[in-house]
Amino acid sequence: MKLSDIAQVIRSKNAGPRRLTLDVMFASDADYQRVAQSPALGPEAIGLLYGVPADQVTVIPYPAGRAIKIVLARRVTAGDPGDVDVYGAQQHAPLLGIEL
Amino acid sequence: MSASGRILAEIRRARRPLRLLGASGQLGYGIPTPGFNAGLAREPDLIGCDMGSIDIGPTYLGKGEMATAPEATRRDLRKVLLAARSLDVPLVIGSAGSAGAAPHLDATLAIIRDIARADGLRFRMAVIRADLARPMLLEAFRNGRIVSFDDMPELTDDDITGAAHIVGQMGTGVFRRALAADVDVVIAGRACDTGIFAALPMLLGFDSGLAMHMAKIIECASLCCVPGGRDPIIAELDDDGFVLESTNPERRATPTSVAAHSLYEQADPFTVHEPEGTLDLSNARYEAVDERRTRVSGAVWRDTTSPTIKMEGARLIGERAVLLAGAADPRFIAQSKDILPKLSDLVRDLVCEDQPQDYTLRWRVYGVDGVRMVVPANEQPPGEVFIMGECIAPTRERASEVVRTCKQYLLHFGYPGRLSTAGNLAFPFTPPEVSLGPAYRFNVYHLLKVDDPDTLFPMEIETVQG
Repeated sequence: MKLSDIAQVIRSKNAGPRRLTLDVMFASDADYQRVAQSPALGPEAIGLLYGVPADQVTVIPYPAGRAIKIVLARRVTAGDPGDVDVYGAQQHAPLLGIEL
Repeated sequence: MSASGRILAEIRRARRPLRLLGASGQLGYGIPTPGFNAGLAREPDLIGCDMGSIDIGPTYLGKGEMATAPEATRRDLRKVLLAARSLDVPLVIGSAGSAGAAPHLDATLAIIRDIARADGLRFRMAVIRADLARPMLLEAFRNGRIVSFDDMPELTDDDITGAAHIVGQMGTGVFRRALAADVDVVIAGRACDTGIFAALPMLLGFDSGLAMHMAKIIECASLCCVPGGRDPIIAELDDDGFVLESTNPERRATPTSVAAHSLYEQADPFTVHEPEGTLDLSNARYEAVDERRTRVSGAVWRDTTSPTIKMEGARLIGERAVLLAGAADPRFIAQSKDILPKLSDLVRDLVCEDQPQDYTLRWRVYGVDGVRMVVPANEQPPGEVFIMGECIAPTRERASEVVRTCKQYLLHFGYPGRLSTAGNLAFPFTPPEVSLGPAYRFNVYHLLKVDDPDTLFPMEIETVQG
């Protein structure tokens, strides 16, 4: 099963111009629990997907919102020459196909 | 007596819950009228709007321009101003004019004075500036009071003197000072969104943790609902919590949707760092009142002994011009990764024949790798692509020269196996080269340590007479 088959929301945005934050939210506690325990959303796996060292990836489980938050360092400061996504709103795409 | 004085006196005399209307998360993009009117019918004690953000990128801050269209900005400002004056409640606007530096604030004030003239309004207005004085910053920098965070490179003297504008995100203290000065309207430069809504309840002795948490949520209007949206939101705050309700009946504030909003554009869902302290949400509780309303409690505020102000500055880096073109030849698409660097070299040899390279040139191939940071291996090539060449050069003319030369030589670039010898590119229109004006980058995104953050942000009070 892919992450996009089970999640209700998969989104990305800047948290300030130096950080990218990815939120994955679920419709039920059961779905949340199932994914929260999976290594597929661990720092190593996410780092590989985004080309970022695992120690620059923070994964925060947030049961109150049935959500998992992932925070990454942006490789380019938002809006600097060479940036591809000033708001960071389309960087969720690599998460969609994660196999659980 | 003006609106803030009236509300403060009224609630001090007979304490009751406060009702606040979060009218817009981004003033200037339109406020849906049915929701706004429904919000006004609830007789709010304050109308607040956020007008800006750092998300929009460095150019608005650097150039001193608003991100929103002037007519739309005027329409929204008039809507909230007329409403606040007719209810005689304070109108509080933060991050004026998108980026909140002097030109943004002044442009916002000019529109407000113009509306007052046209509509015959008279009111007392507090204006709070967010620009940080360069001599003060240079001294603070030399004294080690400016620090990096989020891996931002260390600041230099040159960053301070070279930035087009440097603003600080003001906290709640200055908003409290403004509302305590008996005013009808508060217009602030760059500000934390929390000050807009938390200052009034804090002045009245409501719990700071609850007030800050409420402010953090309602500054985004009905975004905390399912489905989320731009309609205004009502919060009713008492001594133990606050209740959220969208002004659009189709939007429901549910415990999960409100809790999930703590994730939005934040690196940490449990802790919010503000200039004057920290908001701890780890014990926050979200309970359904009914299908459309959620009650929130449990947030804890902790004052800091070492306040910090987040600084934002943007610096001019040149003039930007782009080339816009499509392509549909599979051989060209397959080889574009090799073709574009070669084309860049060819163009450099032509335009730098009698001078050193003084520009940067970047290519994005949409359909291939224009958006993603990492492209998976073995991805099938697309049937067509959009190509954007971006040049940043010292002058508008130079940037234009580079992308115009690129156009001609990319159109006719020869590559192995080429069949389409009449041209490699499809232009949706001509000219396909566009000058975009000055380009900026964030060169300041640092923390300034201060003893009293309020002293950084001067306030003036004027009587606007229509």
